[in-house]
Amino acid sequence: MSARVVVAMSGGVDSSVAAAILREQGYDVVGIAMRLAPQETNGSRARQACCSYEDFEDARRVAERMDFPFYVVDLRAEFDARVIDNFVDEYLAGRTPNPCVMCNREIKFARLWHRARSLGADFVATGHYARVERGGEGRFHLLRAADFTKDQSYFLFALTQAELARTLFPLGRITKTEVRARARALGLVNADKPESQEICFVPGDYAQFVAARADPNRVKAGQIVDSEGRVLAEHDGIHQFTVGQRRGLGVAAGEPLYVRAIDPERGQVTVGRREELAARGLRASQVSLVDERLAGAGDRQIEVKIRYRHPAVPATLRMLARDRAEVRFVTDGYPAVTPGQVCVFYDRDEVLGGGFIERALEA
Amino acid sequence: MPIYLDYNAGAPLRPEARQAIAAFVGGGQANPASVHRAGQSARRSLEHARAQLAGLIGVEPRQLIFTSGGTESNNLAIFGTANALIGRRKIISSAIEHSSILGPLARLQARGFEIVRIAPDRDGRIPCERILRALDEGTALVTLGLANSEVGTIQDLRPVSVAIRDVGAMFHIDAAQALGRIPVSAGALGCDLMTLSGHKLGAPAGIGALYVSDRAKLVASTLGGPQEGGFRAGTPNLLGLIAFGAVAAAVASRLDEENSHMAALGERLLQALVRSIPGLALNGPVEGRIPNTLNLTFPGVLGESLLIALDLDGVEVSMGSACAAGAVEPSHVLLAMGRNPAQARSSLRLSLGWATTEAEIDRAAEIIARVWRRVAAAEPTTDGTLSRQAPS
Repeated sequence: MSARVVVAMSGGVDSSVAAAILREQGYDVVGIAMRLAPQETNGSRARQACCSYEDFEDARRVAERMDFPFYVVDLRAEFDARVIDNFVDEYLAGRTPNPCVMCNREIKFARLWHRARSLGADFVATGHYARVERGGEGRFHLLRAADFTKDQSYFLFALTQAELARTLFPLGRITKTEVRARARALGLVNADKPESQEICFVPGDYAQFVAARADPNRVKAGQIVDSEGRVLAEHDGIHQFTVGQRRGLGVAAGEPLYVRAIDPERGQVTVGRREELAARGLRASQVSLVDERLAGAGDRQIEVKIRYRHPAVPATLRMLARDRAEVRFVTDGYPAVTPGQVCVFYDRDEVLGGGFIERALEA
Repeated sequence: MPIYLDYNAGAPLRPEARQAIAAFVGGGQANPASVHRAGQSARRSLEHARAQLAGLIGVEPRQLIFTSGGTESNNLAIFGTANALIGRRKIISSAIEHSSILGPLARLQARGFEIVRIAPDRDGRIPCERILRALDEGTALVTLGLANSEVGTIQDLRPVSVAIRDVGAMFHIDAAQALGRIPVSAGALGCDLMTLSGHKLGAPAGIGALYVSDRAKLVASTLGGPQEGGFRAGTPNLLGLIAFGAVAAAVASRLDEENSHMAALGERLLQALVRSIPGLALNGPVEGRIPNTLNLTFPGVLGESLLIALDLDGVEVSMGSACAAGAVEPSHVLLAMGRNPAQARSSLRLSLGWATTEAEIDRAAEIIARVWRRVAAAEPTTDGTLSRQAPS
């Protein structure tokens, strides 16, 4: 009997082609769409970033076309508790969360695996652009995708050896263009479906979403000040700000101002000129390493990526404890180190690990 | 072949339905409202089917309206009565009804009606005294299911019909799930309106009926032609109702035999599962249940996972109700019966029917026990995430 693999399907072209490829390779594919985001079911047809009826129907049609079973499972309670609550808490604490990383860590490669195992599956697969390779001594390596422009290894840094061993990324070696071509050749309904860009559970403005979900007593209003402490404006909640943000500050100044720091205790947002943002490194917490044997090896030359859309830059990594690390940029003055965001450590194509940014090391 | 244990959602077509459909498809397709002889022939088929169905529940053929199914019948009974009995603003029902009763009641509540939803006991029985206590001169309608679709509990409704009549209210019984599972007599129950559904019985989906007593007052919702006594305009679903009539005649002739067979198989399945699954719990009464329905709480698993795993291993069952996208929701019936959300999420409904065989039951019992062990081992439910209710 061929190995059974549960493929997480969103209804998008990537996960659909991932499932189709595995089916063609002879796997016993079971498609699963996860119902994650809370949604209106009052008969309205409000736009939904994901988990909509139409998305699930697209996935179902792909499953019919490729002839494998497909189901929708309800993980809303878990998603709510482990991803959305965290998202809101982080913003209220003056940090900028990355819900996709949390969803991967808590839902797709944890809860979904439990579901997969209960279905007798040997693997889970997703449509992420990343590669897993098995090295010597049975260790697994997480690598950037062949399609550099689509590489999503950044979001996957928290995968453990056990998780990598049971995970398949069928799109790791092909490009997005090839994925669309495969989808068209297979006659999949979503071959030309546009990419989803926004946060799946936030239909519009994230600050409104946070304010609507948060206990009003936890929304911290305060002042916007400059580096010398001069008050420039008032604001009604620090959750509306992100370190590095320029637009929408509500402050008139002769030159562009950026958010430098957010003090959740005082509700104070400090802004400054672009050069005042410069940092020489960062401290990270909740650090995990793909191969734990890297820990405690002294300083290590790496490349670090501190936002998904930023290029990786040369840096020195030092583990401070089992799950805490310090990263120093080789070139000073890397702008906008944003607390709450994810930093991922690379050695060329390989993901060594990563963590959550606690604070910048000021230049 | 997978083993189908979801008859309460829809039964496979009976041979009598297939034959009736084949004969219909082979013939012409005239409109029973037409004057020409082809139309007259269609009308004879329509009235023959009506008589067949009327015979099954012991009513006059003219008292039956064909509809598109149980949902339409329930909507027509509820809105039709609410719109007919002007001035009466109370409706009595229960917390465990089908969504096609709960939905119309919610709409009427928004329009200012007082809706009394009586809570069941732990076995799903609606206490008659609670109905009687709620009943008054302002009551327009009492609407209750005869047999619950999810747990199979049969309500003893005879004691309330006289009191309902005495206050001038209408009595609607949703017999969609009871029909064909127990003897159903509209006269003996003393109801004014009764919902019947074809596809639970082995007729195709898309055909149902509403019994309307001579006393009942009903304002039609679908307006147009004079069909179905003016209660339901539109050319009727001739294909569906011919099959429904044929199935009704077949069921009437062998109800006792079929039901003792189903009861024996249901008991056999329950005993086999109780032996192999420690902590398995039956939801619903041991006595006073439609014998084809087993609603079971499986310890230590999510019903959703067990349902999918069983499907992959060839046993087709169901859980609560499915959302539009196909995800399952915990049963409102089990919650109303005092089960907690985790128990409701761990429960599945197994429902047998006319084609179920003993060999299937024995094989199903073996597969269910084996798959339950795998799912229970794979997915711990003790981490607290289940006790948190998601918004629906």
